[in-house]
Amino acid sequence: MTRTIRLAARQALLEQRSFWRSTEYALFTFAFPLMILLLIGAANVSSHLPGTNIKNTTVFVPGILAFGVIVAAYVNLGSKVAVLRHDGVLKRIRTTPLPSGAYIGGLLVSTVATAILITAATGLIGWLAFGAVPRAGELLALAGGLILGIVCFATLGLAVSSVITSAESAGPVAYASFLPIAIISGVFDPTFSGLPDWLSRVVAAFPVKSLAEVLQNAYAIRPFPAWDLVNLALWTAAGAAVAAWRFRWHS
Amino acid sequence: MTDISVIDERPAAPAPDGPAVRVRDLRMSFGGTEVLHGVDFDVRCGEVFCLLGPNGAGKTTTLEILEGFRPPTGGTVRVLGLDPAAQPARLRERAGMVLQECGFPRQARVAELIDVWRAYYPNPRPLADLLDVVELTGMRNTQVRKLSGGQRRRLDFALALAGDPDLIFLDEPTTGFDPEARQRCWAAIENLRGLGKTILLTTHYLDEAERLADRIAILRAGRIELCGTTQEVAIRAGLATRISFTTPSALRRGQVPRPAGIDLAVRGPESVCHTGNAALTLRLLLAWAAEHSLGDLDGLAVTAPRLEDTYLQLTRDQP
Repeated sequence: MTRTIRLAARQALLEQRSFWRSTEYALFTFAFPLMILLLIGAANVSSHLPGTNIKNTTVFVPGILAFGVIVAAYVNLGSKVAVLRHDGVLKRIRTTPLPSGAYIGGLLVSTVATAILITAATGLIGWLAFGAVPRAGELLALAGGLILGIVCFATLGLAVSSVITSAESAGPVAYASFLPIAIISGVFDPTFSGLPDWLSRVVAAFPVKSLAEVLQNAYAIRPFPAWDLVNLALWTAAGAAVAAWRFRWHS
Repeated sequence: MTDISVIDERPAAPAPDGPAVRVRDLRMSFGGTEVLHGVDFDVRCGEVFCLLGPNGAGKTTTLEILEGFRPPTGGTVRVLGLDPAAQPARLRERAGMVLQECGFPRQARVAELIDVWRAYYPNPRPLADLLDVVELTGMRNTQVRKLSGGQRRRLDFALALAGDPDLIFLDEPTTGFDPEARQRCWAAIENLRGLGKTILLTTHYLDEAERLADRIAILRAGRIELCGTTQEVAIRAGLATRISFTTPSALRRGQVPRPAGIDLAVRGPESVCHTGNAALTLRLLLAWAAEHSLGDLDGLAVTAPRLEDTYLQLTRDQP
């Protein structure tokens, strides 16, 4: 067991080094959520949620935290595993005695590290630029929500990697499968409303809005997100099941 | 996943004189079509064994079964005393594998990647040693994506060698390479041989088999046609050593008798014979020449049977 953990840590280190070495890729993975944060945040800086004294940015910043988690965990990991499979790296790993748990574990640990760095940068800039801070005593809830979100979207990333059939389509498939949902979930616009009733229900069933609401609850008093927590747990279980069922070491 | 169970259950290494690989009546079918029809061969410890055959003969399928990636439909396979399909993890600690078209993590550096690979194995070879064997010491800090095809293949060898395996599988190691890259790959394979590793390689290049292999098995349409050393294979295919010399004028004019016991053909200026025993024939020839004062036989040439002749003969009537 200790050997597996040691090997997973080693693998995670290699993944992190590789990630930062491809400067362009790392920069844009970071820049995407941060640019959206600054640009859309600036347009919302003086407005409040309708009928409340909650600033729009207080809800918008945790929404972008959720967005950063999804980019780092779902898009990055999903497209990366698809490319590793397509390039035959996974097949090569199978020629060694490395336990598969150590390899997948290493990929996950590296993903968690990237996601934490992105959310830390987002949270810090959200505080400095818009004064958005978590509610007193809610830091632990925020950390818990982030970890749940990272784990949930990382398993979904592993699951989606199995349906991507080429390295070229990895990025587009990963982005296109969540951006539309993120938009109608109101992640980029806290005042977003006016969806037909049935569509609201559909959106509520996806994990994007659930993660945003769990994180928003740590910044502003909202109804306790009981359903959202259950929903994230369900999606995590579904993602893990599909990943385990569909995972292939070669294309 | 406890280390103890792995050590406890590990069988003793095969005796040094036992074969590294033993294949008996190996059969493989895909969807009702049999592609291997009872393949038999042994790979001895410390030798370079080459599975030679045209594309589609079943070389890669055979290798994938030996590597534990596919369970065979029938027959028995033992690799280092292990059943590859049943004990793949234990096999991979002791056998290095170079597959066709296997990628690398693109941003990793050469030495960094080899070092990560070393950590996968219980008794890795030293890093400097690995770089040296595959002649990549000068590229140790280069990112993998910047390596040429030949350099990547040599990095393949280094990764396969990282765990200091007893046996190395090489699946078509130089396919698609330019002559210079092939030469360097061959040199790297010679280095692996120099370390005393048993090597099982597949190829459809004759010159590669002839250059590298101690023994060759010719696989055609799922059957082993011939197996042995390069020369044995050629001889068993019915080809013989060719001995020729400039016809002495006394022989041409009929002033001396033909040598006894030799089927000599006098073709004008050149005399030729074919033999399965070159040494005996040469001795007879030279004794005959001395007896009739013909000197040392001008232009005497002995040509070993060539693998290419055998191979072409076997594959010409490919179904």
